[in-house]
Amino acid sequence: MLSRSAEGLYWMGRYFERAEHLCRLLRWQVEILVDRPIREIYFGWSRIYMSLNRQPPGGRLELLGSDDYTLADAYTLAGDLTFENSDSIWSCFALGRENARQMRHCISAEMWTCLNLAYLRLRKSSIPEIWKTAPESFYAATASEINTFSGVAEATMYRDEGWHFLQLGRFIERAQCSTALLLSQLAIAKLRDVSFDADWTSLLRVCQAYDAYNRNYSVDVQPRRVLDLLVTDPSLHNSLCCSLEAAAAELDAIGPGPQEHSSAAARRMAGRMSALIQNDWPDRDDHEALLEQVRQSGWELHDLVIAAYVNYAIEDSPAR
Amino acid sequence: MDFDDYNLDAENYDEMFLPDGVPREHSRLLHETLRKLSAEELGSIQERITRSFLNEGITFTVYGDEEADERIIPIDCLPRILSDAEWRKLEAGLTQRLGALNRFLEDIYNEARIIADGVIPVEMVRGCPQYRIEMRGFSASHGTWVAICGTDLVRTNDGFMVLEDNLRVPSGVSYMVANRKAVKASLRRLYRKTGVQEVEHYGRILLKTLRELAPRGNSDPCIALLTPGVYNSAFYEHLFLAREIGAELVEGRDLLVNNGFVYMRTTAGLRRVDVIYRRVDDDFLDPLVFRADSLLGVPGLLHAYKLGNVALVNSPGTGVADDKSVYAYVPDMIRYYLGEEPLLANVKTYICRRPKDLEYTLDNLENLVVKRVGESGGYGMLVGPHSTPEERETYAKQVRANPADFISQPVLALSRAPCLIEGRAEPRHVDLRPFVLHGCETRIVPGAFCRVALRRGSLVVNSSQGGGGKDLWVLAEDDQSSGQSE
Repeated sequence: MLSRSAEGLYWMGRYFERAEHLCRLLRWQVEILVDRPIREIYFGWSRIYMSLNRQPPGGRLELLGSDDYTLADAYTLAGDLTFENSDSIWSCFALGRENARQMRHCISAEMWTCLNLAYLRLRKSSIPEIWKTAPESFYAATASEINTFSGVAEATMYRDEGWHFLQLGRFIERAQCSTALLLSQLAIAKLRDVSFDADWTSLLRVCQAYDAYNRNYSVDVQPRRVLDLLVTDPSLHNSLCCSLEAAAAELDAIGPGPQEHSSAAARRMAGRMSALIQNDWPDRDDHEALLEQVRQSGWELHDLVIAAYVNYAIEDSPAR
Repeated sequence: MDFDDYNLDAENYDEMFLPDGVPREHSRLLHETLRKLSAEELGSIQERITRSFLNEGITFTVYGDEEADERIIPIDCLPRILSDAEWRKLEAGLTQRLGALNRFLEDIYNEARIIADGVIPVEMVRGCPQYRIEMRGFSASHGTWVAICGTDLVRTNDGFMVLEDNLRVPSGVSYMVANRKAVKASLRRLYRKTGVQEVEHYGRILLKTLRELAPRGNSDPCIALLTPGVYNSAFYEHLFLAREIGAELVEGRDLLVNNGFVYMRTTAGLRRVDVIYRRVDDDFLDPLVFRADSLLGVPGLLHAYKLGNVALVNSPGTGVADDKSVYAYVPDMIRYYLGEEPLLANVKTYICRRPKDLEYTLDNLENLVVKRVGESGGYGMLVGPHSTPEERETYAKQVRANPADFISQPVLALSRAPCLIEGRAEPRHVDLRPFVLHGCETRIVPGAFCRVALRRGSLVVNSSQGGGGKDLWVLAEDDQSSGQSE
């Protein structure tokens, strides 16, 4: 497959995964505006911005005592995260769609049409419109459209290298988003000295793991159990270990690149990350350090993939 | 929908009606069907077609309009119909014309007999900016310089005429297929009853043509379609064609030349490319030979082509044969190379580099269409009858300053076809661009990108200038209309 096409599909997977992740975060965040305490709302915004490693508009978030201020801020912050900043839902979706447009010959016609319909709807949206009724339904609908796109891809896309690069992008991004979110959760909880059940419950909800947690541990929310579930549960589709295993499997399916040592390094890195979570997590208490290690490795893995299959040195490449 | 207010005039040939208002034989079934559909039903069909284009992202870009990326071409839902007999005449004329043009290109880059024999003045050829001295002495495989040609045809009361040959990177074929798909889905029973020849196999024929041109008779060549990239106005078409023929869609940065062979960068290493269907203009194709500042091309590509290690479709240097001045000599080329009379007429053309023609042009600006020889897409053109005295004066100054850059032609009474305009049938001017393919032999899909000037009274059909498209139905054989209606 053309290297540029593989890269385009890989980024397409990453952008849509990021957009879907943000939709989930914002859906929960705007839902709690209705009835949750200001402290919890503040925690939610902080967690989102910290996990994205971005500054909110105005440079920082303030815990204000008034509902009026909190709701007005929410409007601004949601606008920023939905449309305005370069990591917003709209930016990620538009970039994913742009990659799809350029790689349209590599994906199925059904995938393109599904995506384009969602794009046309999103293009007409604006934060004042979204805010008029139930904003959470906008985020739910957008996440659902991205999930539909993934389903259509699953059902219609030819299982060639392009498919594996698309999936690889999704799983690497999912692992990176989960790691960043967990690190933010731990960092903010540490700052507070007090652990609120509500913050961990909201984390479960954002990660679509609330029901799975209840089934395993009942409604008694304990941070350690929440972390274990989100990181190591092999039955939770988006747990960190599942994402890393899936990324490693995609790399195996793609096979060696033009320089065997380079693609082997990427596969080894994915395997190491997966092993780190499966073997080390249960016995270690320094979870932040371990997650930080995974995050760093995730960036390295991305670089290794691009170096192995896209930006390889031509001199070392066999010609066919 | 009734046609009671449909405006027929004797000056313009009407594609659906005879001058007395009776539907032409081949359009009778379409006419009857349309009469039975209400304005609302037709409006809904039109809406469905437009929406399908939008949803599927069948788009083009207008140069210089930042807001206009991914604009759809307005498609009129009423098809234009040609009989099989009409089509056969066109097919023969187009085949003849491309044969002569390929012979002309082989000749002027080698012996230049046509110049030596005084059929065409040397300055017409060598003075043309599209003449590529780098191609001198090169002989194209099978004599095929132009493998893909899009010829613009118009009809007047005197019959079909060639308006322009597009021999470099002709575009529009994807709309021929997309229009068909959309209109067929909306007028299903009519389509079936009418007996229309298919166009959807264009990709297969294109692939066959490209394979025939592979170096050293390679029967399973690696084919790539070279695009300038996503910002090109025809990018959708590049995607469409790459998909149709199963080729990689490459940009210049994906290719490199090593030891005279062309390779593309794949995830498994470098892969040799045998055939390149290029949609990049000559100027940008190879920065070592043409424009040094080009980022769209591939350094060394022309060298690889001249060594015979890769096929370039169309060949560089073909632009000299579709220059608007050289166009005037195509009938002479046909006589000279083929010893035949042209089957398709040219439009009378005044070449302003000739003093007499210049004088005539300047004296009759208000009655002529004046075009720049190097422009396309309807840009840089003066339509005399629609211009103001000031515009004519400004244009005349430009013509006087550089006469060789201009030609003029009489304003043609282009044929008209009914279009759905605000719920009513109104006549609009149309042309058509069939696509002629030539590898070892000539192949033409029975259809065309039919363009329509949607603005009332306008003669400009270009999509960049407010034009739209129509599906063109070529009937399987004459007199298919059975009198049955939808």
